[in-house]
Amino acid sequence: MANTHILSAFDRDLEAVQAHVMRMGGLVEAALLDAADALDNRDQELAQRVRAGDKAIDALEQEIQTECARLIALRSPAAGDLRTVLTVMRIAAALERAGDYAKNLAKRAEVLSQMSPLGASTGSVKRMARAVVVLLKDALDAYIARDAVVAEDIRQRDHDVDQMYNALFRELLTHMMEDPRNITAAMHLHFIAKNIERVGDHATGIAEQVIYLVTGSMPGEERPKAEVVQGMGART
Amino acid sequence: MNDMRLTERTVSEKAKMSARGVQVYYGTNHALKNVDVDILDKTVTAFIGPSGCGKSTFLRCLNRMNDTVASARVEGLIEMDGQDIYDARVDPVQLRAKVGMVFQKPNPFPKSIYDNVAYGPKIHGLTRSKAELDEVVESSLRKAALWNEVKDRLAAPGTGLSGGQQQRLCIARAVATSPEVLLMDEPCSALDPIATAQVEELIDELRSQFSVVIVTHSMQQAARVSQRTAFFHLGSLVEYGETGTIFTAPKDPRTESYITGRIG
Repeated sequence: MANTHILSAFDRDLEAVQAHVMRMGGLVEAALLDAADALDNRDQELAQRVRAGDKAIDALEQEIQTECARLIALRSPAAGDLRTVLTVMRIAAALERAGDYAKNLAKRAEVLSQMSPLGASTGSVKRMARAVVVLLKDALDAYIARDAVVAEDIRQRDHDVDQMYNALFRELLTHMMEDPRNITAAMHLHFIAKNIERVGDHATGIAEQVIYLVTGSMPGEERPKAEVVQGMGART
Repeated sequence: MNDMRLTERTVSEKAKMSARGVQVYYGTNHALKNVDVDILDKTVTAFIGPSGCGKSTFLRCLNRMNDTVASARVEGLIEMDGQDIYDARVDPVQLRAKVGMVFQKPNPFPKSIYDNVAYGPKIHGLTRSKAELDEVVESSLRKAALWNEVKDRLAAPGTGLSGGQQQRLCIARAVATSPEVLLMDEPCSALDPIATAQVEELIDELRSQFSVVIVTHSMQQAARVSQRTAFFHLGSLVEYGETGTIFTAPKDPRTESYITGRIG
């Protein structure tokens, strides 16, 4: 298939919304890494910057939704073009949520910097954040490359993040059982870990959008699920 | 609400007309290559494709309009209700009463509105009395959503109507012989958007009574009015399927290129 429209402004419109999504993805990835760094290094200033930066992510999401509405109204996209617009909207929404989680992480990092550290758990959070950012980045790369094979691989890899979350969950549970004074910090860390795990789910969601974009249908539900409940049972 | 839309979208699986291995030559020019398609009963089927792709040629095969072109040669099998329409025993004039046609430009006869609609039933001897003919004229004009606009001036010339009204008059004329299939070749390309919307609404209503096959250059029109879409390219039928599927996830890259406005 020829890749350019006869009406070249249509191409420019489509490229523009996709470029916005990529810029948004870059901001969200940076926000997650910075927030995890701020947590690990007890860097309140960096945490503050991440919280302020979420406004830019939200503004980009708004712009993408507006541009997509325009594109639908003015260009009547069909087939692959239509799927591009639909997936752009869904991916932007997923990234916006991921941005909110980064902001929340930064907020909790500020609170935690006032408390005594809880073992090496902030290091584990940071590793988990890095793993999720790699997933997110790979999902967005697969989107640009229109690569359903890589996207399918990402769906399977989310499992690793789930396992990191389960390990961290057990670690935090241990800290809380050792000393109830750890509970406040451990709860904050648990929310952080849960939110990062959700970012992983959003990365999976983006990968599913890639599959929809390329194939025209959503993938079936055959993703391995981590057994959180069983993990809890083993500990309590 | 959703359920209603789904029921509306479902179509009969029964083929009203079916074409197998249809080839058309204009002299040495091979205009249509090996077309297989089923036109479903009580369904709107849209033929889309770039100019010269063979969609109008194929449409004209369905009521043997190509018989009137001296250089045209049609091969293959086209059946209606299981009967070969190119069989020597089939009278093309009778066939065209059953398979009506509406053209791109409104072409009312230079006669009164009444006579335009009455013409078909008269020559085919479908009515026995003036009262019966009046009834057919009225019901046809009603089906074409034109009755209320013209009921007080049935004796006025059909050519005096507006373009949109003329086209609906031509539809009324085609409907008057109680066709089983209505072929429409670009019926809205000479109409303004309001008249176009009225004709499209009409097509959707006519679907409850018979099959409609529409050739259109407007992809949005195909998307709006049809339940089945066939994409023709360079004389071949490239893809035929449910309209929603064709416009969201076509299988053939040539279909995709065409409907998304890319260079094919």
